[in-house]
Amino acid sequence: MGLFDKLAGWLGLKKKEVNVLCLGLDNSGKTTIINQLKPSNAQTQDIVPTIGFSIEKFKTSSLSFTVFDMSGQGRYRNLWEHYYKEGQAIIFVIDSGDKLRMVVAKEELDTLLNHPDIKHRRMPILFFANKMDLREALSSVKVSQLLCLENIKDKPWHICASDAVKGEGLQEGVDWLQDQIRTIRT
Amino acid sequence: MSAAPAEMKEHAEANAKWLDAHYDPVANLYTFSPCIALADLQGDGESKLVVGDLGTGLCSMKLKVYRGTSLMSENTLLDLPTGLVSFHMDQHEPRTPAIAVASGPFIYVYKNLRPYFKFTLPSLEVNPLEQEVWSQAKEDMIDPMSLKEMLEGIRDKADIPLSVRSLKFLILDPKEMEAFVNLHKQQPIRRQTVITCISTLKKNMADEDAVSCLVIGTESKDVYILDPEAFTILSKMSLPSAPTLMDVTGQFDVEFRITVACRNGNIYVLRRESPKPKYCIELTSHPVGLVRVGKNVVVGCAQETLQGYTQKGKKLWTVYLPAPITAMGLMDHHSRGFQAVLVGLANSEVHLYRDKNLISTIKTPDVITSICFGRYGREEGTLIMTTKGGGLMVKILKRTAVFEDRDMAPGPPLAQSIRLNVPKKTKLYVDQTMRERENAVAMHRAFQMDLSRLRLAVARAYVKALESSLTPVSASLSDPLKMNAVVQGLGPSFKLTLNIQNTAVCRPVMNLAVSFLYDEALYSMRNAFFQIPLLVPGLNYPINTFVECLTDKGISDIIKVFVLREGKSAPLLTAHINMPVSEGLALN
Repeated sequence: MGLFDKLAGWLGLKKKEVNVLCLGLDNSGKTTIINQLKPSNAQTQDIVPTIGFSIEKFKTSSLSFTVFDMSGQGRYRNLWEHYYKEGQAIIFVIDSGDKLRMVVAKEELDTLLNHPDIKHRRMPILFFANKMDLREALSSVKVSQLLCLENIKDKPWHICASDAVKGEGLQEGVDWLQDQIRTIRT
Repeated sequence: MSAAPAEMKEHAEANAKWLDAHYDPVANLYTFSPCIALADLQGDGESKLVVGDLGTGLCSMKLKVYRGTSLMSENTLLDLPTGLVSFHMDQHEPRTPAIAVASGPFIYVYKNLRPYFKFTLPSLEVNPLEQEVWSQAKEDMIDPMSLKEMLEGIRDKADIPLSVRSLKFLILDPKEMEAFVNLHKQQPIRRQTVITCISTLKKNMADEDAVSCLVIGTESKDVYILDPEAFTILSKMSLPSAPTLMDVTGQFDVEFRITVACRNGNIYVLRRESPKPKYCIELTSHPVGLVRVGKNVVVGCAQETLQGYTQKGKKLWTVYLPAPITAMGLMDHHSRGFQAVLVGLANSEVHLYRDKNLISTIKTPDVITSICFGRYGREEGTLIMTTKGGGLMVKILKRTAVFEDRDMAPGPPLAQSIRLNVPKKTKLYVDQTMRERENAVAMHRAFQMDLSRLRLAVARAYVKALESSLTPVSASLSDPLKMNAVVQGLGPSFKLTLNIQNTAVCRPVMNLAVSFLYDEALYSMRNAFFQIPLLVPGLNYPINTFVECLTDKGISDIIKVFVLREGKSAPLLTAHINMPVSEGLALN
């Protein structure tokens, strides 16, 4: 890092870069959430199932996020673990209307938390209980119960209900994530 | 003590493969495997569970559709469903499948969960005599009692069975008969059969969402193939018995194969362009489940066995099960290319078999009555089971689950099934075989000639031995004697013991002498000739003498012993003693 960059950093002109992994089952709304977080001129209108993964960038007041938007389809889920090392935070998206696959989400989360690249790192995890607009959707409390989130002791985590299509609840989550990353860094 | 950890291990093992997604023990769902299907009914990428619910008795038969963990819709069915399939009727977009429910002689077709079409099986031929009798009743020419008598006569004799109306009439009380006749006599008689099983057959494309024909088996021992759009009968095939279970593969316009398990305990294979069964598998007990895995057919039998057959009816293997079978289904995981047979058992277990190997066991809280594996919701590997108590259970195959191909059940070790590397037939072997095949007659003659020569040589040698009394048993009737000789000692001096026995019944033998013949350069004997005392019949006389070996070259020779009668030159008996090498001299 050059002197100028450092200076810009101190003055808050240049934002800190942070890598975030966006994980969750297929059709849970990962790409929609990332799309909503991007500046309105960069948003796309039609969201299609992600193949492999895609890299998206967006900025908040103090951080510059690089998001690895991973595909949630069963056959691509084994790609997730290759990116655990690079990630400094995780966004885990859950379809709160899909009661049947809550066990699958829990299974994937447990596998994730027990992975050697994740297990002993204190990285913040943000959960979005997405699709809260659905009539049969479970509350964020119920989702955290079903996923046994209370067992996560060594990592800061936060769950918020969201509706990615309308953009509700997303800002709250991202603000929490930003705070966490700042506290860990300083 | 040891059972508990083993059970826990087994439980953990099953947990390592399946996630318990949903279990509702009071779903009030009573059904069996032919009445359960998974289909993307709305074309939204989420598969729904379609169940023909048999209800609890004569009522509450329903067509139920589940989405996720909740019931999405219910349609009342008029009669008990015997089978349910989802199939694509046409090429229209969006590609949503229709549901066909077989019940009684009808097939009810639902599109978008609304009744769309009702197909009725063609009625069967009615007995002309029965027709005649009823037309007489219609014109009031005969009273109900004589109608009953005539119908009973027809029932006992005729080739064509009576219609349902006549059978119902025959079981009525005499006082109800009049009203029954008056109510029904105006309608013409019809004889209907019922559907026993239903399946689908792709019309001319093998795609997942290609248009399919319906294939139905009926109580009248027929199999019909129906056109998916017009519901006309495209093909009709006959079986020797009523079908109960059916599996269909192939395409109607190309080549297809219908495997049917029948009520007579046989399995028949029907093919295109053959109105009669092509192959027949005769089972030892009745089939209760039929699943096709690849090109093989796996049959569950009432005798608690699972048997594998090729599609031509050759038996491959048998597996003995711990309990009777309650449900069978195919586990076909497309994206992993994994196929296995799910067998629900009466001891509340589900066994998973790949070929004859038991690869996984699932314990269930209740006995399961139907089983179905496929895409449910958005999850590809979903196992759906309904229980005897009306429960619904959904399990999801873990992404990380691995099935070992090894058999879990104890049995012969793996090494036993490794094939030995037996060399192929060599050129020499082939040449010899060819030679044997070409010259069989000549070889046989040569063998016979040599055999005859051998027999002749043996006979000559025997006669010679007898003539010169070279045998240790005397052949003459006057002096039946037996002798054997034993050599004792290491050398150079040996002890010879001759055991002589008179084998006659009561006559003693006298005036015998023993003489030895040997090479005098090798051996010396103190007494080479001596008299034998009187031989009492039956007793064994050991006669000892000593031999000294003279040579130190480590060679040995034969000493001949003759038993002689005084005044006769030919010996009675001869014995050859193979002398051992003198070890005493060799040591010096």
